[in-house]
Amino acid sequence: MKHTYRKCTHLLAGVSALIVVSLVGCGVGESNVVIGNREGILHLGNASEPTGLDPHVVTTTDASRILGALFEGLVTRNPWTLEPEPGVAERWEISTDGLIYTFHINPKAVWSNGEPITASDYVWTWKRALHPKTGNRNAYLLYVIDNAEAFATGAIDDFGEVGVKALEEAILQVTLRGPTPHFLVQLMHHSSYALHPETILKHGEMTDRFTQWTRPENFVGNGPFILEEWAMNRYIKVGKSPTYWDRDKVSLNGVVFYPIEDDNIEERMFRVDQLHRTFTLPLDKIPAYSTMPDTPFRTAPYLGSYFYVVNNLRAPTDDVRVRKALALAVDREKIARTIMYDSVIPAYGVVPPFIPHYTPPAPFAFNPERARELLAEAGYPDGEGWPGLEITYNTSEAHRKIAIAIQQMWKKNLGVEITLANQEWKVYVETVNQKDYQVARMGWIGDVYPSSFLELFLTDGGNNDSGYSDPRFDDLLISKGGQSVTREERYRYMQQAEALLMDAMPIIPIYSYTTRLLQHPSVEGMPLNVTQSINLKYAELVPGRTLPDSIR
Amino acid sequence: MNTLADTASPDSADTGSSLWQDAWIRLRRNKPAVGGAYVLLFLIVISLLTPWIAPYDYEVQNLDLGASPPSAQHWLGTDVFGRDLLTQIMYGGRVSLMVGFIATAVALLIGVTWGAVAGYVGGRLDAAMMRIVDILYALPFMIFIVLLMVVFGRNILLLFLAIGAVEWLTMARIMRSQVQSLRQQEFVEAAISLGLSQSAIIRRHVVPNALGPIIVYTTLTIPSVMLLEAFLSFLGLGIQPPKTSWGLLISFGAETMEEYPWLLIFPGLALTVTLFSLNFLGDGLRDALDVRGSKD
Repeated sequence: MKHTYRKCTHLLAGVSALIVVSLVGCGVGESNVVIGNREGILHLGNASEPTGLDPHVVTTTDASRILGALFEGLVTRNPWTLEPEPGVAERWEISTDGLIYTFHINPKAVWSNGEPITASDYVWTWKRALHPKTGNRNAYLLYVIDNAEAFATGAIDDFGEVGVKALEEAILQVTLRGPTPHFLVQLMHHSSYALHPETILKHGEMTDRFTQWTRPENFVGNGPFILEEWAMNRYIKVGKSPTYWDRDKVSLNGVVFYPIEDDNIEERMFRVDQLHRTFTLPLDKIPAYSTMPDTPFRTAPYLGSYFYVVNNLRAPTDDVRVRKALALAVDREKIARTIMYDSVIPAYGVVPPFIPHYTPPAPFAFNPERARELLAEAGYPDGEGWPGLEITYNTSEAHRKIAIAIQQMWKKNLGVEITLANQEWKVYVETVNQKDYQVARMGWIGDVYPSSFLELFLTDGGNNDSGYSDPRFDDLLISKGGQSVTREERYRYMQQAEALLMDAMPIIPIYSYTTRLLQHPSVEGMPLNVTQSINLKYAELVPGRTLPDSIR
Repeated sequence: MNTLADTASPDSADTGSSLWQDAWIRLRRNKPAVGGAYVLLFLIVISLLTPWIAPYDYEVQNLDLGASPPSAQHWLGTDVFGRDLLTQIMYGGRVSLMVGFIATAVALLIGVTWGAVAGYVGGRLDAAMMRIVDILYALPFMIFIVLLMVVFGRNILLLFLAIGAVEWLTMARIMRSQVQSLRQQEFVEAAISLGLSQSAIIRRHVVPNALGPIIVYTTLTIPSVMLLEAFLSFLGLGIQPPKTSWGLLISFGAETMEEYPWLLIFPGLALTVTLFSLNFLGDGLRDALDVRGSKD
C-alpha cells in the first residue's frame, strides 16, 4: 500500500502534463482512496509544503494542520461546537475576576516517548515561544499573559516575572494582564502547544531555529499522531500514536498530507480517487460541481472578510457621506450570485455574521436612491464635479472581476467615474500601508471572537490602513470590552463598537469568505467549520462509499 | 522578382514610369498583398466607425446573464460580466490598431532618421550615435517603460509613445547598415558629384533604396507592439478596464478557456487576421519596392 501512494506522489513533482498521465497510471491499480479506506489512512490535499514543523517558526495553515495532528494543546477545539474541550489539561479553573487560569494536567497525558507531560514543560516552552531570540512571529498571541510582552520585547529579562507558574508537577497557573474570555481559544493555536524540552536541547540551543529535532527520527510530540515520514515536496505521513492518552477515540491509522499548490491539479487528483479531501476548489469549477447529483462539493462560511478599505484622510472619501454613498451603491447580492457563483456571503459589516454568540449590528441595505442623495449632499449631484476615484487591487483574476463589477455599479448608480489600478502583491501592500491610495481591496482572516476583526480599526493600530480614528471606538474595544469579565458583556460592547464603526464606514464591506472543497463520501467526523480547523482525532473513514459516476 | 525581365524591357522604359508607379503596378499584381490591404482597410474603417455602429455599449454589464455562448442577440457571445463580445472586440480593435500604428510610426521616425544619419555621416558621429543605441539596448526595456509610465502617468497616448521609444533601436541598426552599403554605390557618388546637399541625398537616394528591409521589419514591429501593449496592460501599466484591447481580451480569455472558449477564440481570431494581413501586405510591398532586386 505504501508503494501505491508513493508511486503516485512521485509524479507530483513533475510537469502538469505528466501528472495527468501518471494519475491514469495509478488508476490501473487500487487508488489511494480505496486502499486508504481499507487501512484507515486519510489522504489530504494540503496546499503547500510547510516551511518547517517547529510550532514557534511556522505561521501558515498548511503547517498548522500537520502540527494539530502531532501535538495537542492544553485544550482542544471541538470541530462541531468550536468550544474548548479537555486536551492535555483534564480540567481548569478560572478566577472570578477572569485573570487567573489554573490548569490540571491529565496524568495520562504523555509525550510520544512515554515521559509524562509536566507543567514545567509548558513554562519552558512558553519561555522559548516568547524569547526575543526565537523570532516567533506568533509570539503576540501570548501577550495576553501578564508581562509576556515585556519579556518578548526585551524590557525584562527574568522569565520568572511572566505570569506562568508550575505550581506542582501537574498544575499550571497562568495570570493574564486583563480579563480575556477568548484566552482558551488562543490556547488552541499551534503556537501555544508544549514542546519536549530535552528533545530540542539535544539538537541545539533553546532558541535555535531549524534544527534537526523536527526530523521524523527525532520528533517527539504529544498529539493523536506521530510523524512517520517527511518526503520533501511530496508528502508528510503521520501514523496513530500508541501513547496518546485518548487513543481509543482515534479512528484513523494514519494521515498523508500532500502539498499541492495548483488547485486545478488537486481537483484532478480528487477526481481519480487520489485524495479524500481537497484544500480548495477553483472558482470556475463551482457551477459544474454544484449541479452534480450526490456532489462531493462542500462549502461553509469561513471567518474572513473581503472589503474595500477607503482612505479616510483624502478627498473625496474623507467625507463620510461619500463613503456611505459608495457603500450603499454596491449590489453585493448580485456580485455574490453571479461573479462568485454563490460561493460567498454578502457582507454588511466588518465582523462576519457567523461568530458564535455574537450578533452584529443591523445591516444596511443596497439602496441606490439613498446613495445618490448622500452624494448630492456631499456636493456631487449625479456625479457633477466628481474629482475621480481610483480602486487599487493586487493582480488576480478574482479581484479584477469584482473591481470591474463595482466600477460599473458606481458609475451606473452614482454617475461617478472610477479608474482601476492593479499592482503586484508586494507593491500593493506597500501602497496601502503608506496610505497612498484612494480605495483598495483588502481581506482579513480572524478568529472566533469579534475583536480579532475590530482590532484593525484601533487608532494607530498596525493594520489600520483606512486612517479611521475614534476615541469612543477605542474606548469600547480596549477599556470597556477589554475589561469585561463575561462574554455577553464583552460582545455587547463589541457590537456597539461595530455599530459606531459602520456608521463612519471607513471600509466598504463586500463579502464574507467561505471554505469550498471536495470531500469523498467515505470521510466522516471532519465537519467544515468557520475556523477551517480540522481535529483529526475525530476523523473517520467509512469504506464502501464511492464518488458519483458523473464526476469522471 | 520573376518580373525582372519585363520591367527592365525597353518598352517599359519608353513609357517613362517612375519608381513609385512601377512599385504600384507590381503591388497590384500581388493578390495576397491586395487582399491583406483590403482586410486592413476594412478593419480600420470599422474601428473608426465603432462608436456609431457597435451593437451595444461596451461598459454596460448584465451580471445575471454572465458568460453566454454566441447567440442571435450576441453574435459572438458575452463575457463573464454579460458584456457583448463583438462590441468588446470592436472597441479593443481601436486601441490595438492605434497602438500598432502609432507606436510603429514613432519607432520608424526615430529609427530611420537616427540610422540614416549615423550610417551616412559615419566617423565619430556614427560611433557616438551607435553607442547611445547600444546603451539603450542594454537597459531592460520593461524598466524603461515602467519609468516612463511612472514619470508621465498613465495615459494611452504616452503609452504608445513609450512603446515606440523602445522599439526604434533595431530599426536604427538595420537602417544604418543599409545606408553604409548604399553610400558606396555609384548613384550616391554621382549625386555627391552633382553637388546635392547631404540631407537631400539621404532623403532622395538613400532612404528610398533602404525601404525593403525597413518595411519588412515594420510589419514585424506592429504585431510585437500590440502584444507588448497587452503585456503592459496586464501588469497594470497600460489600458485599464473597462477600456480594452485585443491583447487584454486574449489574456483574460485564456484564463477561462476551458469554461468559456469563445472568449479566447474570437479575439484571437481578430488579432490573427490582422497580423496575417499585415504580413501579406508587407511582403508585397517589399517585393514591389525592392528596386535593386528588380533593376540589377
